[in-house]
Amino acid sequence: MTSMNEESLTEELSGVPEGQIILLETNAEHSLDVSLSAMRIITRNKKATAIILSASRPCTNLLMLYQKNNIPIDHLLILDCICKTPPVSAKALTNIIHLGDVSALTSISLAVTESLKKITGSRLVVIDSINTMLIHNQPSIFGKFIHGLLTRMRLVGAGGILLSLEAETDKMIRAEIAQLCDKVIKA
Amino acid sequence: MTKKPSAGNKKIKNYPTKAGVKSTSSLLKKHQSGVIILELPTELYFESNMKTLHGLLQNGYEGLYISFQRPFGNLAQLLPQKGISLKKLLILDVATAFAAEEHQKHARCVHLPPNFAIDDLSRAIYTSLEQIKIKKRFILIDSLTTITLYKPLSEVMRFFEFLQETVEKQQGVLLILNVASELTQKKFIKDIAIAADEVIAV
Repeated sequence: MTSMNEESLTEELSGVPEGQIILLETNAEHSLDVSLSAMRIITRNKKATAIILSASRPCTNLLMLYQKNNIPIDHLLILDCICKTPPVSAKALTNIIHLGDVSALTSISLAVTESLKKITGSRLVVIDSINTMLIHNQPSIFGKFIHGLLTRMRLVGAGGILLSLEAETDKMIRAEIAQLCDKVIKA
Repeated sequence: MTKKPSAGNKKIKNYPTKAGVKSTSSLLKKHQSGVIILELPTELYFESNMKTLHGLLQNGYEGLYISFQRPFGNLAQLLPQKGISLKKLLILDVATAFAAEEHQKHARCVHLPPNFAIDDLSRAIYTSLEQIKIKKRFILIDSLTTITLYKPLSEVMRFFEFLQETVEKQQGVLLILNVASELTQKKFIKDIAIAADEVIAV
């Protein structure tokens, strides 16, 4: 990681299981490390169930990375926006939903909302990542999607981590999203 | 109301911003009514907004909080943590209406239906403002740019004109329009800034 070690990040993310929504910014070089550190932190105490909205990596790749980095998947629900159908290696897993289209924002929003309703207890949503989703969606429509999603998360008291690449995001949409979050962290 | 900058004012291009205002008290010394745009630091937006709100209530104001960003339930949980009493506020929960979700029933929360029109919003503000009986009243818009995610700019401008008229007709109403500092260069914000009494960077 760059300027922040895992201990500091743990401190910064401590409010997420209680409903805090955080914009976590990093650079391209360290984005995978930061993303995996965040996952390690939020799964460590199994305090909350995490819904992973993955637009950057397919589920098989995520599962491989989680296994390699000792990240337990029993408290995770992966919403895979890349694969349309489950790959053979992930067929037996019930905690993966295949959405298969990063630009299908209505379907993604419905899937997150339904998942939030189904999961009892503390829950949080990880969006990986803002930049990848912006490649496939118009900034104004994406801004509306994020606003709607964050409102629904707040209505049920769910926390969130929005992963984003610093300096790579359109300045205006970045500001629009940042002002909706409880905290902006640069890792 | 203080003098508004005219359209011919050269400063309009980069509208007159007073940087370094430390507290809401100093803002209120100058403006007891009128239209103020508050530029809030993007990354500390919510904290800065809470400080403004706290300052308004500390100075004897009561008002309408028009929440485009957060649902009522979230605010009802966070405001007391910031030392802000809900008793002096009416919160218009537009965020929940935008998300087409069910509202939480509460005496301090004003509801709007999903797919509401700007006229519905204006009517809700007008009738809610009438419920606040004290002289020192405010309307806080949180935030100007969030409305544009859902409503066309022409409607947002029409909404602003309604707010401006309301402030002019009803005495002693302070209209505060929040904008994240990085979004102040949007053209429609500049258009609104022309009609504001002052733009203040917090």
